[in-house]
Amino acid sequence: MIALEILLATLPLVFLLSLLFEGIDRKVHARMQRRIGPPIIQPFYDFIKLLVKENIVPTTAARSIFNASPSLAAASSIVGAAIPLANLIARTGIIGDLILVMYLLTMSSIMIVVGGSSSGNPYGAVGFSRKIMMLIGYEIPLLISVVSISIKAGPSLIYYDIILAQIKSDKCLACAYISSATAALTFLLCISAAVGVVPFDIPEAKTEVIHGPLIEYSGPQLALLKLAKSSTIFSLSLLAFTLFFYFPTIYELSIVLGEIATLGACLLGSLMVMLLTVTLPRTVFARLKIGQAFKTYWFFPLPMAITSLMLSVLGW
Amino acid sequence: MWKIASRSRIKSPWIFHLNTGSCNGCDIEIVAALTPRYDAERLGCVLVGSPRHADVLILTGPLTSQMMPRVVRVYEQIPEPKAVVAVGSCAISGAPFLGSYSIEGPLDRIIPVDVYVAGCPPRPEAIIRGIVTAVKRKFG
Repeated sequence: MIALEILLATLPLVFLLSLLFEGIDRKVHARMQRRIGPPIIQPFYDFIKLLVKENIVPTTAARSIFNASPSLAAASSIVGAAIPLANLIARTGIIGDLILVMYLLTMSSIMIVVGGSSSGNPYGAVGFSRKIMMLIGYEIPLLISVVSISIKAGPSLIYYDIILAQIKSDKCLACAYISSATAALTFLLCISAAVGVVPFDIPEAKTEVIHGPLIEYSGPQLALLKLAKSSTIFSLSLLAFTLFFYFPTIYELSIVLGEIATLGACLLGSLMVMLLTVTLPRTVFARLKIGQAFKTYWFFPLPMAITSLMLSVLGW
Repeated sequence: MWKIASRSRIKSPWIFHLNTGSCNGCDIEIVAALTPRYDAERLGCVLVGSPRHADVLILTGPLTSQMMPRVVRVYEQIPEPKAVVAVGSCAISGAPFLGSYSIEGPLDRIIPVDVYVAGCPPRPEAIIRGIVTAVKRKFG
């Protein structure tokens, strides 16, 4: 039960870290465009402002689903981020927690679009259909890459076992095997679609479908949806760093400097992953069309993920 | 607690921009205020697409009779608390169009306006100052 207490303690930590990550992302994005950019604590201002704003529920909305889905989305993505973080702190795991995390992260993005489609706004429905298209595109390679790495590390579906395997083999998995390196690349490519940032923000395109699923949400509901999105970014970058690039030196830091140093190194690493997979593409590229995004994922990451799975079964 | 809320509101004014029959001059200047050169985002301003997300309504143009019910509707769609900024001479007084059969304006006859930014068109700095004054006056 110690693990449960740590999990509860990490929930506020996830809240703070994910908003902080979003702030850093916005600042770096601004600096890349040669702007000054908003202060790093800007997401906190946005969150509090939205929390104390009026909440409007349109008369055309299916009221109960419309009201429930932002809380569900935020809860599932925060728990999805808290589980890996708590496991990193507690250094244990439960069987199948990797599946649970991936499920919760998908759940969060599905809840967002379900809420949007229940709003009665046609743009919400368009956003819903686009998001489902995107889900079919990125979810399969994402999951296959996780399966590939869990075969390599055991086989085990415990998140901390994969980290332990990297500590034992004295190499991060992405450097150790070809199959894991391919899986890592697939996972990194899928992050920007999974969180829906610019080259793949097709369901929430501001200038096309006016925020899609988010269009009718206001006030606290919108705050929860924004929180869901930023904690999904945090969770996926943490997962990407710890599953594939957990260098054993990070673990050795805890012997020299204490456990907080290991956690800090993991967070720093996931920040780098976020900057490379979320901030950089979102600055460099323009938005794709839905067909182009779908093709991108089925012609490049999907074959790569399948190759990586086959290689890991063959023992490469 | 109230202080934190008011500070957050001042620090994150999300903008919804509506053209009520403007010649597009003011609109170009509003977009210019959001570009990297003037960078309204350093003050937390984000241009949003849906009035449900907005805090500040920026209106340009003399308010044609076609746009009048729509302006009222968009104004009412914005959740409380909200501020309204009228940008440009047309929005303030109707300017050259005053007295025309197709004009219902000036804007403050229809909805409450908090800040007027004069100019034809006003400079981006003036628009940013108008937004900041509006949120400080309304939410501070």
